[in-house]
Formats: sequence, structure tokens, C-alpha cells
Amino acid sequence: MPPKIEFCMKALEAYNLKKSFSRNKQIVTAVKDVSLTIEPGEILAFLGPNGAGKTTSIKMMAGLIQPDAGSVRIMGKDPHRNAAALQNLGAVLEGNRNLYWRLTPEENLEYFGVLKGLTRREARLSGKELLTRFNLLAKRRTPVQQLSRGMQQKLAFAVALVHRPQLLLLDEPTLGLDVEATEDVKILVREIAAAGCAILLTTHQLQIAEILSDRIAIIQKGEILAEAPTQKLIQQFSGTTYKIEMQAALDEARILELEKIGLEIEARRIIYVDRTELLYKAFTILQSLPIQAVLKEQANLTEIFLQIVKQGNNLND
Amino acid sequence: MIELFLAELKRNWILQRRYPIEVVGIVIITVSIFYGLFLSARYVAGANFQLGDRLDSIVIGYVLWSLVLFIMGNIASILQYEAQTGTLEQLFLSQFGAVKVFLIRALASVTLQLIFVLTILLAILLLTGSRLNFPPALLLPLIAVLMGANGIAFTIGALALLFKQVNQLQVIFQFGLLFVLATPTETWTGFVQVLANILPIAPSAGILRALMARGESLNLTQLAIAFINGVVYFALGLGLFRLAERQAKKRGVLGGY
Repeated sequence: MPPKIEFCMKALEAYNLKKSFSRNKQIVTAVKDVSLTIEPGEILAFLGPNGAGKTTSIKMMAGLIQPDAGSVRIMGKDPHRNAAALQNLGAVLEGNRNLYWRLTPEENLEYFGVLKGLTRREARLSGKELLTRFNLLAKRRTPVQQLSRGMQQKLAFAVALVHRPQLLLLDEPTLGLDVEATEDVKILVREIAAAGCAILLTTHQLQIAEILSDRIAIIQKGEILAEAPTQKLIQQFSGTTYKIEMQAALDEARILELEKIGLEIEARRIIYVDRTELLYKAFTILQSLPIQAVLKEQANLTEIFLQIVKQGNNLND
Repeated sequence: MIELFLAELKRNWILQRRYPIEVVGIVIITVSIFYGLFLSARYVAGANFQLGDRLDSIVIGYVLWSLVLFIMGNIASILQYEAQTGTLEQLFLSQFGAVKVFLIRALASVTLQLIFVLTILLAILLLTGSRLNFPPALLLPLIAVLMGANGIAFTIGALALLFKQVNQLQVIFQFGLLFVLATPTETWTGFVQVLANILPIAPSAGILRALMARGESLNLTQLAIAFINGVVYFALGLGLFRLAERQAKKRGVLGGY
């Protein structure tokens, strides 16, 4: 029997996308070179400052903007040449504005389900399932305009998922939501990815990107500056500084010994160790004293983002 | 496709039923404008006001004009509205493709709007005392009218896709069409007769006036001209819409407003 070859098709493949627009008789390059791939079930946070080219890139991936160069495949099909590719795509492009506000949630789900190729019966069934899952069943007959912002956003997700796509594009999904609604959206995004749907997410809320994403891509001035698994990127930008917090104040002799090997001490209780090899020397000096905590300095995504964008600016200048 | 048509029909029906004042308002305004003009003409003419089948012809022209305005609104106005509300891009994300979606949408809307137009027609007949014939043959030129009207609607829709704000242009089209539909172009002779056959919807409007106002029988040559006219404008509209879609995707202006 021949060996079984596991073939896993990528949910999204975008290679060398380029796009320039003519604005006021000037050519403006919105996207210089963007390549991204996403595996099924993966969440990719696509980050960048305003005007970096995120939305243009996403719309090229969705087939809504024709790229000047490059190629896009959604589950192996080109959305610019083959409309069937759109069957595997769901998108919430501008918050909750992809809904008919005069229709109810179940009417929106039925209509958009049929628009995505389902029969009305299939759309109704899938819609009901999503309304239950998203805790919106009680509001299924309330016109969208009377729903809260959070509910509208959850419904926008449901509408994008009604035809069970393999790829979901989310442009600023938590923009303008309160804390509770943001938490709901975070849970939903995780659940959707866990069910095998690939998610491309843009957000300015970097904490959300850090918590939700498996991988991060940072774009600036139309170019991807960094792309890596989220944890790897954080590790990469995290320093090697450790912080040792003592339970009680240190005596003068130990402080002198610690300073002798080049460590910094703050308020007689906190010791900063900037190299891993010094950590164990410090432990030897501190032997038998009660330690409150040993912490490794961890960069957060906001610092990483700002650092990368700053480096990108310096390179461009 | 049938599923999409039924879904569009349902969406349209729900919107009309949920907001009936808008529909009733449009019907009342359309009837009132005609009745106002009718009363003014009667006042000017004095006691000897007798229009006969000329009144019937004017009624047909006016009602056809309101039907065409509804159809234009279906595509051009709604397209501008949906670009503002953000649902437009979702329509372009359908696997059916934008042209089919808008075509089915137009068909579903026309089905309902024929009911409103019939209401307008009956109200005008009641108020003015005009009497029209309704032979089954009128369905044939009516199909040609619908094709031509949709062709114009898709043309304006194409411009709306690219330039977003086309309200002024729409108004110019509306008054231009009032001239074309209310004028008895079927009575023109010589060179202008050729022009009458080229103007959008004019040949089918002429046949409807002959059938419904003057009680004449169906002229097959005229019907063939009306169909060619309708098909040409319809194909032109669809072609321009497809071109505009490609251009809008190139320029990145599909959803922006």
C-alpha cells in the first residue's frame, strides 16, 4: 500500500501583491509587496498604522480590488478569475455595516445565505444554528437597527459565516465595541478558528491581536516589515533582563556583592539581572534568603509594533 | 437563480410591508402630480376641456414614466445607498457575480413595482375619467419597455459604481425620459421617425399608446422595432455595468463613498 500523503490546502495564499492608485493626477502606491499565507484554523493578525495598506491588501485578497501584480488563491481558487472562490470566503469589512438595518437577524441571514449560494432552507437552518451559537436567538425577529452595537457585530459575524466559509476576513472587528461585547467577539473568533476556519484579522487594539493571533504580520507603507508566530515575535523582542523581587530588604553586604558583579538594585528589594549567566551568580549571593518572585522581562505587542514601525520609518528615511 | 429571485422578492416585500408609508407616499405623490397638471390644463382650457384619446395617451406616457423611474431607482439609487451603508461590497462577494445579482434584484423589484404602477394607473383613471383598453397583447411591448428601462438603469448604475454621486445625472435622465415617453413619437414622420425608433423605450411606448388609448391592433413591425430597441439598450446597460465593475475594481472605488 503506498504511503498516505497528507495534503493540507492553504486557506489563503497571496503572493507579491502590488497596487497603485491615481489620485489627483499623482500615482500613489498603496501596496508595494505583500505576500501572506494562512492555514486552516489559523488566526493571522495583520497590523499596521493607518494608511499602511491593510484594507487595500484585504480587498485584493477578497477580489474587491484588482491587484496591479501578484496572485491570490482562496482554497486554491483565484477570486479574481473564478467567482466560485468566493464560496469559501466570508468577510466583515466595515464593522456592522454589512447588514440590512431594516431587516431582522433571521431575514439578513436568509438573504445573505442565498446570496452565497445556499438554498433558502439551508440558509434558514444555518442561520438559526448561528443565532443560537452567538446567543442572538431571542433577538431573531428584532430589526437590526434596534440591536445593540455588540449584537450587530455578532450578527455581522454570523452573516459572514452563514455559508460556512474556510476563510474569514475581519477588518477591525472590535472597533467601537464596549468591554463586554469585545470579550464576546474574542471568544467567537477563537471558536470560529477552532472549528477550522482561517481568520485574517486587522485591528488597532494590539492587546487583542496579541491574545487572539497565532501569527502576526506588520505592514507599513505597503510592505510587510515582519511576519512571525506571535509568541516567537514576542520572545524575539523580549530582552534577557530578569527581575528578582525579594521578600525583605537586603543587607548592605549582599548589596555590595551584587553591585560588584554589575547588577542594579532598586529600593534594596528588587534586583535587575541583564544577562542569564549572572542570574545564577545572583542566586548564589542570595542563597537562603526568601525570594518573592523571579520575572523575565517580556515585551508586549504594542512595544514590538512601535519598534518595528519606527525601524521601518528609519529605513525609508 | 430561482432561490436568489425568491430571496430578493421576499427582501423587497418585507421592506415594502415594514415601511408602507414610503410606498403609499410615492404612489400619492405620483398621482397628485399628474392630477395637479390635469386640473391646471382643465382650468386653462375652460369649459370646453375635451382631450379624448389624447388624455389616454398622456396617462400612458406618464404611468410608463413612473414605472421607468421606479426601475431606475432600483439599481442606480439603491446602489448609491448601499455604497453608503456598506452592504454593496457584500453583493460583489457573491459567487453569482454582481451583474446577475443586480439583474435578479431588478426583476424581483419590478414584480412588486408593477403592482404600485397599476395602483397609480387605476387612481389616475378614476380621477381623470380616462378610459383605457387592456388587451393581452400589451404584455409584449411592456416586456420591451422593461428591457429598455433596465438598460438605462444599469447604465446609470454603472456610472454610480464609478462616480458614486450621480443624483444630478439621474434627474437629467428622468426629465429626458418624461419627454421621450410622454411625446407621441409614433406620429413622427420622415427622419425624425428614425430618431423615434432609436430613442430609448419610445417605440414600445408608442405601441402601448396605440393599443391602450386608440384601441388599435398590434403592429408586428413596430413590435419588432420595439424589441430590438429594448434588447439593444438592455445589452448596452449590462455591458457598461460589467465594464464599470472592472474599472471600479481597478480603481479601488467599489465600496467607497
